[in-house]
Amino acid sequence: MGAFLLRRLATAIPTLLLIATLAFMLLHLTPGGPFDSDKVLVPQIQHAIEARYHLDEPLWRQYLRYLGELAHGDFGPSFQYRNTSVNELIAQGLPVDAAIGGVAMLIAILCGGGAGLVAATRPGGWRDRLPMGMAMLGISIPVFVTAPLLILVFAMRLHWLPSGDWVAGSWRHLLLPALALALPHTAYIARIVRAAAIEALAQPYIRTAIAKGLPTHVIVLRHALRPTLVPLVSFLGPALAGVLTGSIVVEQVFGLPGIGRLFVTGALNRDYTVVTGITVLYGALIIGFNLLVDLCYAWLDPRVRARA
Amino acid sequence: MRSIDPSISTDVPAAHVLDDLFEGLTRLGQDGEPVPGVAARWETSADGRVWTFHLRAARWSNGAPVRAGDFVYAWRRTVDPRTASDYAEALAPVRNALAIAAGRMDVSTLGISATDERTVRVELTAPTPFLLSLLTKSYAYPQYEPVIRAHGDDWVRPEFMVSNGAFRLQEYVIGGRVTLVKNEYYWDAARVRLQRVVYLPLDRAAQTERFFAGDLDFTESFSAEQTAWLRARLGAQVVSAPYLGNFVLGINVTRPPFAGNRALRMALTLAVDRETLVRYVRQGLYQPAWTPTPPLPGYQPPVPAWAALPEAERHALARRYYAQAGYSASHPLRVELRYPTDSDNRRTYEALAAMWRTNLGVEAEPYNEEFRVQLNERHLKKLALFHYAWIGDYPDPLTFLQLFQTGFGYNDGGYSNPRYDALLAAAGSEPDSARRLGELAQAEAILNEDVACIPLYYYATRHLIRSYVHGWTSNIQDRNLSQYMYLQTPGGH
Amino acid sequence: MSRATRPGALIAALLLALIVAAALVVPWLSPYDYATPAWTEIFRSPTVSGGHPFGTDSLGRDLLVRVMWGCRISLLVGIAASLLSVLIGVCWGALAGYAGGRLDGVLMRTVDVLYAIPFIPFVIVLEVAFGRNFLLVFVAIGAVSWLDIARIVRGQTLAIREQEYIEAARALGVRTTTMLRRHVLPNLVGLVAAYATLAIPGVILFEALLSFLGLGVHPPLASLGSLVAEGANEMQAHPYLLVLPAGFLAAIILCLNRLGDALRESLDPRGDGDGHD
Repeated sequence: MGAFLLRRLATAIPTLLLIATLAFMLLHLTPGGPFDSDKVLVPQIQHAIEARYHLDEPLWRQYLRYLGELAHGDFGPSFQYRNTSVNELIAQGLPVDAAIGGVAMLIAILCGGGAGLVAATRPGGWRDRLPMGMAMLGISIPVFVTAPLLILVFAMRLHWLPSGDWVAGSWRHLLLPALALALPHTAYIARIVRAAAIEALAQPYIRTAIAKGLPTHVIVLRHALRPTLVPLVSFLGPALAGVLTGSIVVEQVFGLPGIGRLFVTGALNRDYTVVTGITVLYGALIIGFNLLVDLCYAWLDPRVRARA
Repeated sequence: MRSIDPSISTDVPAAHVLDDLFEGLTRLGQDGEPVPGVAARWETSADGRVWTFHLRAARWSNGAPVRAGDFVYAWRRTVDPRTASDYAEALAPVRNALAIAAGRMDVSTLGISATDERTVRVELTAPTPFLLSLLTKSYAYPQYEPVIRAHGDDWVRPEFMVSNGAFRLQEYVIGGRVTLVKNEYYWDAARVRLQRVVYLPLDRAAQTERFFAGDLDFTESFSAEQTAWLRARLGAQVVSAPYLGNFVLGINVTRPPFAGNRALRMALTLAVDRETLVRYVRQGLYQPAWTPTPPLPGYQPPVPAWAALPEAERHALARRYYAQAGYSASHPLRVELRYPTDSDNRRTYEALAAMWRTNLGVEAEPYNEEFRVQLNERHLKKLALFHYAWIGDYPDPLTFLQLFQTGFGYNDGGYSNPRYDALLAAAGSEPDSARRLGELAQAEAILNEDVACIPLYYYATRHLIRSYVHGWTSNIQDRNLSQYMYLQTPGGH
Repeated sequence: MSRATRPGALIAALLLALIVAAALVVPWLSPYDYATPAWTEIFRSPTVSGGHPFGTDSLGRDLLVRVMWGCRISLLVGIAASLLSVLIGVCWGALAGYAGGRLDGVLMRTVDVLYAIPFIPFVIVLEVAFGRNFLLVFVAIGAVSWLDIARIVRGQTLAIREQEYIEAARALGVRTTTMLRRHVLPNLVGLVAAYATLAIPGVILFEALLSFLGLGVHPPLASLGSLVAEGANEMQAHPYLLVLPAGFLAAIILCLNRLGDALRESLDPRGDGDGHD
């Protein structure tokens, strides 16, 4: 197990390095610098600004400087928001995405998992086809359609919930974005859980249990739940990483100060450090969660443990 | 909003916040005209180059008195190359400002000094009729030196910031809300009625949605396409007035196909149906433009004679010029129309491309691009036609006409005409206001004769304002201080 | 289970065929085109009799024609990018699975590394970096979405490799490339077809997301994504501008997902599809 962890960590670092390098190089190759503003600057001022952010140095030195800072966990200063570091921006945005993403995932696991289990008990019946049909819809309708529709209905017509904005600690502000974000995930989870549960329920020992006359819900909860966890966990790993770094669309539509929007405005405004910083963070989260997923596998499934 | 440091900020949203947080020697009156601010009164030398401002007993938000030296400190900080301010050029009328910003002179030589604690003396390079308007802008605000010295760039954080305006900063979430509360130390605080002002960064569609949801009392903008629909539902809460800005298509006159080809430029500008554009695409919100400068108090911009032609004749004339320029149906002009990403822009550019296609047979391809990328390509003079919309810095024709001056930093079309430059220079040292404006009008007529650009329309301000919000007045700069506003129903923001 | 899925899949196939046929035929038959504004026809609501069954947009253009063009563009991007990703994925996976050993290790480790690269951010950065080239959109999408297919194909190839006829062919001295082409790839066709069908909706959604963020096709051309983005801006005043293109987008994706599921189930009746076999 220790060797396995070490090996995974050993591949994680070059992967992160590759991600950082790719993002850094791509952005520095783009036309349009971070300080092209509305007015052409007096050259000396332009130089003063560029010197301040080391943009006047050769690219390789900027790159090494960046890697050096990265090694110390410092993502550097933001170019777009003067006087602010990328670390601060992330520290400000991450809790927003964590709250919304966490609630969304909770909704998705509860509703999706429940629907999947119910569907698996009677494959082909209406209790299967109704939730699965809805899951299919959930996968097929993009978030940028559902999110505005949620606002239209619940905020603009019914006036039940605010149409956006972020107020820390206010569940009313959290609900609509979390719901919008939860929909596709709920659908995926329902499908995954259903497939895994059907397979589990087809096992001979379950048939024995049914023959013994145990009630369906007991069988499902006692025997079918655990096997569904393996595929569920493998889905949740990357999904959690994605949700934590923010959903660009949900943040945009609801006007939330999260990381996804930070990333897009950063990319469009050539905020090199913000974009590379968030990309590296995202990469690190994916790697981290994948590692967690593998550890969970080992715990859930002895066969995998043997292989690892 | 990229920064709320008055020396550094350049964007419009930050300017609104700063207008509430700080006050300059003058401040913007409700009608958009400058009125006494920290300076209670002032006098001018006979040649208009030296101004003396006498400060009132104003205080900072921590109770300290606002001193003449705070202005000297702030202005020096803005032009100091080490501050890396994007806006040092804005103080250009002040003596030596440009030389200091360029690093050629020491900051202490800037044309501002404190003769005593309460007197500011400003020396200018030329008579500047719009100086009082300039002084209401963020780069001319005073700044509180002790807090900047103590905290460096962090001084703009809510926990440190000291300001001298009607409000002070309470909360600032980057990419999120900015909350201001009333500054009890403000010298005119007795007349400030709002206790709290909240700014939210939202795109245009979201602003309208949130207004309907009841979350907002005031929106910065709304989509022009929704004007009729909004008016039908919100009535007088939809407010629009002329705005100090033009929507102009820039032409690069230094490279093909437009270099030395006035006929082609004529053909393109003649083939635009401005009334149609304004009436149908902008739903009657804007005014059609035939010349870059919008009408201003005391200034009637020269309109080219062809503007009065009936549409059919104008199109026929356009086609003659098009043929004269060497283009035809079998050999059409192909041109890329780049515009900054924005749904309002998209519709205008699509309409424009369609007009050129129908009226001339031009194959114009609209192509949206991020503003920053486009600015860069514009500055490098890579684009033949480009988005050249401009919001004036102050209500004076010069802010628009400068764009076509030889060597001006923002002259991205590369237009250069010695006669034009000479007229602008003459106007620059002309002390008589009427004669000065006359010279500027002559210069503008030359621009139109040369077809240096394709004006399309003048902007209008667009706001949704709740009926219980009072004290807001339309003005051409679209700057309204929250200190004038009040709500009839208590509570809310 | 198959009894339940077959009619659904059939309906999906029919509906998809109908949409494709309409997308091909309607713009050709209609008196309107997708680009030319009609100043006096701005924001007409959908009517049966008025000549604009889907209404008109902010420039008075017929929405039916624009939505059909949107379907064309979205399907084109979806199919082209999926083909590209299938091509890369199959070659990569088949090579790794067939060669085995060190090469397999290197190839699959590369896939592992690529999995950790944040894919949406990278495409956005690519788009911003190199300008918005229509070709680039699907090259970028295709180039990053082949990873799943590569893994699946490798697994299948490994299984096929062990089969007797391959052993026999190898004993007879058939060259590697010939063997891949003649024996391994044909056996993968069904599986690949199923995954390609499932890849298309993902690509369409992704293109729609890019268009929604203003990074997709150039006007006056429209994809379903850019039409939905336009509609979302106007949804309060003119809901049909959002509902109609969103409906077509959802219908296309729904049909493709249904078909893909059915294809996969017919090949692999157990199919949870999230296989870590």
